[in-house]
Amino acid sequence: MLSVCGLSVRYGRAVRALENVDLEVGDDAVLAVLGGNGAGKSTLLRTISGTLRLHRGAVTAGQVILDDQRIDRLDPAAIVRRGAVAVPEGRQIFARMSVEENLRAGGLGAASAAVRRTARDRVHELFPVLAERAKQRAGLLSGGEQQMLAIGRALMSGPRLLLLDEPSLGLAPQLVGRIASIIAEIHVQGTAVVLVEQNATMALQVADHAVVLEVGRVALTGPADRLAASDDVQRLYLGGHAESDAQADAEVRAAQTSATGVRGLSRWAG
Amino acid sequence: MSETALATPEFSAAGRPAGRLRRRNWPAIIAWAVVLLILVLLPLYLPPGLLSAGQYVMVGAVGAIGLTLVFGQAGQLSLAHAFFLLVGGTAYSVLAGETTQAGAERIVGFGWPPLLALIGAVVITALFGLAFAPVAGRLKGIYLGIASLALVYIGFYLGRALPALTGGASSGRNPEPFSLFGFPFTNEGDIALFGVPLRQPERLWYLFLVVLVIGYLLAAGAMRGRVGRAWRAVRDHEAAAAAMGVNVLRAKAVAFAVSAAYAGLAGVLLVLWYGLLKPDESEFGNYGLNTSIAFLAMVLIGGLGSIPGAVAGALIVWGSQQILTLFAADLGLGTALSGFSPTVISLYVYGLAVIAVVLFEPGGLAAIGRNTVAALRGRRRSDMDSSGASGRRSAPPGKDGK
Repeated sequence: MLSVCGLSVRYGRAVRALENVDLEVGDDAVLAVLGGNGAGKSTLLRTISGTLRLHRGAVTAGQVILDDQRIDRLDPAAIVRRGAVAVPEGRQIFARMSVEENLRAGGLGAASAAVRRTARDRVHELFPVLAERAKQRAGLLSGGEQQMLAIGRALMSGPRLLLLDEPSLGLAPQLVGRIASIIAEIHVQGTAVVLVEQNATMALQVADHAVVLEVGRVALTGPADRLAASDDVQRLYLGGHAESDAQADAEVRAAQTSATGVRGLSRWAG
Repeated sequence: MSETALATPEFSAAGRPAGRLRRRNWPAIIAWAVVLLILVLLPLYLPPGLLSAGQYVMVGAVGAIGLTLVFGQAGQLSLAHAFFLLVGGTAYSVLAGETTQAGAERIVGFGWPPLLALIGAVVITALFGLAFAPVAGRLKGIYLGIASLALVYIGFYLGRALPALTGGASSGRNPEPFSLFGFPFTNEGDIALFGVPLRQPERLWYLFLVVLVIGYLLAAGAMRGRVGRAWRAVRDHEAAAAAMGVNVLRAKAVAFAVSAAYAGLAGVLLVLWYGLLKPDESEFGNYGLNTSIAFLAMVLIGGLGSIPGAVAGALIVWGSQQILTLFAADLGLGTALSGFSPTVISLYVYGLAVIAVVLFEPGGLAAIGRNTVAALRGRRRSDMDSSGASGRRSAPPGKDGK
């Protein structure tokens, strides 16, 4: 569905954000894009969704192809019409509008009213909480609900490819799990997903393929389960330097005991 | 969470099934009908001076609706409203007028029927607004405002440089009086309503009222529909709007064109009201900086983005100016010659109103109105059912009016 070939992107004259990046997303796939800060993950997503120019970046080489058509020179609205929509980093919901208005705004990019109607039903099925809070101001939702709203808003245009930029950012671990299962559900319903994440554990659970970016280049690529098992990824992104599960468990236990050894909070009695 | 439980049925009734009729809000419909009835009956009782003041307010309201759309809804600051007013007035005068010889100057006119000329003037002004839109694609906020201000000064220059169109800054030109299918909006002919003869002031009042109502309904429709939603998305978060498929440049361009069209329409009404098109030589004239600022004050006082607010703002800003002028003698104010003229005093009046709005209710009159309605509804509900009231009050205003 989507292929990126030899893509290089710069911001201004100096900052090389991406350098000769190649990747493929199948028709019904979830691709995880991993990497540390400044690796170029968000830039990749901006390039695909056509919003790069809003951030004063420019494609210097390579192309982005969606369904056999180049989209790297199209404006974001045209790309949305072709079926690829992005959930930008930091959610960027319309805080002053109601939840319902946010969703309707998401439908502005939809091809037809029929698409909008189907999409709306789908969003309400995926996120019942958004239906319950339809009249509430979006800015008053919790962080997790705002993330759901951002995803729901993007789904309102009935996309075939959903681009997610760090959906787990700033969410409690439990909510990260919720978001992960929602992404899996969206995928099962037939939408391809590109998932940019720092939370590699979550991303590799959901994805079937993964790409690791390092300072703008593809450092590693392969099936998600293989990457999750690889030592490099373990060491760099999964926070593990353990040689085995047993050692990891032991370390966790050691950390817990040392934590209880520290003087905890106590009531001030004086 | 009783609040959530209460919100659910309301949502499914109003939002879920697309195409089902909304529940009608009878109190609001009745209130609007009463207001309209009063406006229709007023000319039968008001003296000509107050009628003229009312017409001026309606002109202001049409222009202010245009500004509240571009500034309040789409978030694009425009100080060029006075320029578009001038374009509209000039276009009408040229399209509807006859070619005449005034001294050495040949004044051009096409002699179109006035209704056609009015529509033509609106279209021409909209094109001028569209031509300015690329600037809006590059500049934001106050910078855009300053850039748009340049148009006002270009207007000064063009007004003087093109006397064949405008009649020149010293004498101006007389616009063709409006007429509709042979019915003149002047003192010609005798008609009466309930025994009150309808002469020029009354006829113009009804003309302006019809134009205002049409403009109001069109603006409200645009605001509720996809156009308005795209405007608000661009206003609140340009990048997010772009990411989900709103064509940002087009949304801004449409906002400027629509706003200019309203200003152009107000410009046509203004020359009809004044009976004269006279481009300015200073910023204190009809088409100067002061007028742009007055429109800005209207939409700020009324509440940014609110259409009824824009009308109320026009009532305060241009209404106070007219009332102060009319009753200058009774109020013991000086004459126009003594520096502290009623016009200058009205500047202080609406200047204070703007400060009060910024300090006490940034949402303007629209927010005050909404809160009042919500409070009234809340009280009425609490008489019947106390739990319903709490659910209602805890929910923030549904329609994003600000």
